[in-house]
Amino acid sequence: MLVQEARLPATEPELYIPKPARILRVQKLTEYENLFEVEFCDGRSLDHAPGQFVQVSVLGIGECPISICSSPTRPGTFEMCIRRVGSVTNHIHRFGEGDIIGIRGPLGHGFDVDELHGKDILIIAGGLGLAPVRSLIQYILDERPRFGAFYILYGAREPKELLFRNDLTIWRERHDVNLHITVDRPDEQWRGKTGVVTTLFKELPSLNPNETAAIVVGPPVMFKFVVLEVLSRRIPQSNVYCSLERRMKCGIGKCGHCQANNVYACIDGPVFKYGQLKAMREAVE
Amino acid sequence: MLDRIIRQSDFLSVVRELARQRQIIGPVAREDRYFYEAVDEPDKLDLSFNYCVYGPRAFLFPPTETLFTFNQENGHFEAEPVLDRRPMAFIGVHPCDINAIRLLDHVFAKDHRDEHYLTRRENTLIVGVDCPKPCTEGVFCADMHGNEAKGGFDVMLYQVNEDADDVTFGVVFGSKAGREWLLYSRKCMTPTATDERKFEEYQRMKAAVFPRKLKTRFEDLPALLDRSYDSLLWEATARRCYSCGSCNLSCPTCYCFNIYDEMDMTLNSGERKREWDGCQLENFAKVAGDHNFRPKAASRLRHRIYRKAKWIQEHAGIPGCVGCARCDRACTAKINSVEIYNQLAEEV
Repeated sequence: MLVQEARLPATEPELYIPKPARILRVQKLTEYENLFEVEFCDGRSLDHAPGQFVQVSVLGIGECPISICSSPTRPGTFEMCIRRVGSVTNHIHRFGEGDIIGIRGPLGHGFDVDELHGKDILIIAGGLGLAPVRSLIQYILDERPRFGAFYILYGAREPKELLFRNDLTIWRERHDVNLHITVDRPDEQWRGKTGVVTTLFKELPSLNPNETAAIVVGPPVMFKFVVLEVLSRRIPQSNVYCSLERRMKCGIGKCGHCQANNVYACIDGPVFKYGQLKAMREAVE
Repeated sequence: MLDRIIRQSDFLSVVRELARQRQIIGPVAREDRYFYEAVDEPDKLDLSFNYCVYGPRAFLFPPTETLFTFNQENGHFEAEPVLDRRPMAFIGVHPCDINAIRLLDHVFAKDHRDEHYLTRRENTLIVGVDCPKPCTEGVFCADMHGNEAKGGFDVMLYQVNEDADDVTFGVVFGSKAGREWLLYSRKCMTPTATDERKFEEYQRMKAAVFPRKLKTRFEDLPALLDRSYDSLLWEATARRCYSCGSCNLSCPTCYCFNIYDEMDMTLNSGERKREWDGCQLENFAKVAGDHNFRPKAASRLRHRIYRKAKWIQEHAGIPGCVGCARCDRACTAKINSVEIYNQLAEEV
């Protein structure tokens, strides 16, 4: 017999079972990424924090982790930016309005927005990293008076890989957002800046480092160089946040796949403070 | 202190009774080695076995199992969880494996209850058999505090007396269920002062015969590993590693798994299943798009050792390794964990 520990969580026989959700809208973002707006078939709200993720199922094909890219301040439906790269995501890309997918979540530890309230916000996103951080950007825009100055630095490899072009246009036109965009490899039409995302730091005015929170989300290769820029701007490590990508199967801290040193990206993250991460060599190398 | 004593022949007759209610699982000899097997006839059990090639985890956490079944029509789906409620009794589990099960209990109950494991576990009676001496030369269970079970069993048997033609077990109860089950048989006897003296003698003997293999105390392994992240030993040892995962397969505390779907021929219904996975396999940390977060055998080897001797203990408060040395025995390249710990201890 199992010797019961003092306080066990309530029984969860449906722990691994996704809930049906209906695709309301599909918008092509790039050659490889589509934006899916989704609602639960039973009408419940996702009730997530910015930075959290869900496990998306196509039954018979499998399940994969996808970050939520809309803000909880816009409840009822939620959005996911999905790159077709594996078997599940390629399948979802064949789906359209009215099709049903399975959703488990929200999962993981997102941004602690209370901690960010009152601060100047500097977001640095690379490539697909804009997707998870878009939930936070929307949140900040919807609660704009609760935050100070707002800077977004976004880098993509090529102009055609830029995500959320409509959003980018709107954000750029707002006076209370300071958005800078760069691409590594420009094409002939590109009139914007060229270079890796760290080159955008020179566009920033002088920051008030102790009152600034920096949020770094992007591919593993970008991470170290961006954090270096952030720290050189004298932003304290406790004000630097990162979101980690890892292989996740269970999403609930059991299956072991998303471990980076001694943390699980799926339950301890995906959002971490840099202070937590710097001891985790696998996360920052 | 012993709760009761019982003769082995009487104990086996009680197990024969138990077999009417529960699937009995215990050590069975296959040629010159032992395996935990489900048996219909408890006489097949050999409680004086040296060690089982694998621990009994497969009966609680099968190599593959169905998490839920689903039906879908026009995209809409319904799903039903699959839980295995068949009652089992593990008869003859050594302390290392009892300690390993305690860890599995913890990880599958922590934060979210994994009912697939816990349903089996809650329906399983565990009868341990203590080891009077190390089962093989390679074990380092005494170093890892794995050779003694301080809990996690329903009944524990100690072979305190074998001078008669029948072995007598000293009995310690670990749970109310274990106590009620064995006392109900009316085969137990109250231990005499002689029995208690023999039990004390047994424990003294046991403390003397289990070797200490590690140069580092178990409590200091996390600190040792903290200092050893950049050691060349990982790369040097991993040069021999085939990334075959035999260490994961044979480990009684390994619990990583993969999740996948299987459809039937109609493509309308299917199952979502899980299967054991191993952190030493090359694709363990590889994501879609082919980025591998642990592409080198050296980083995977280091990951396994850190999990076993540092991270799991820090997370769970229970050692991630019980010192059974099954990984070392199973290793196709003769990589030896005791050797790794001791070499690291010499570096610093």
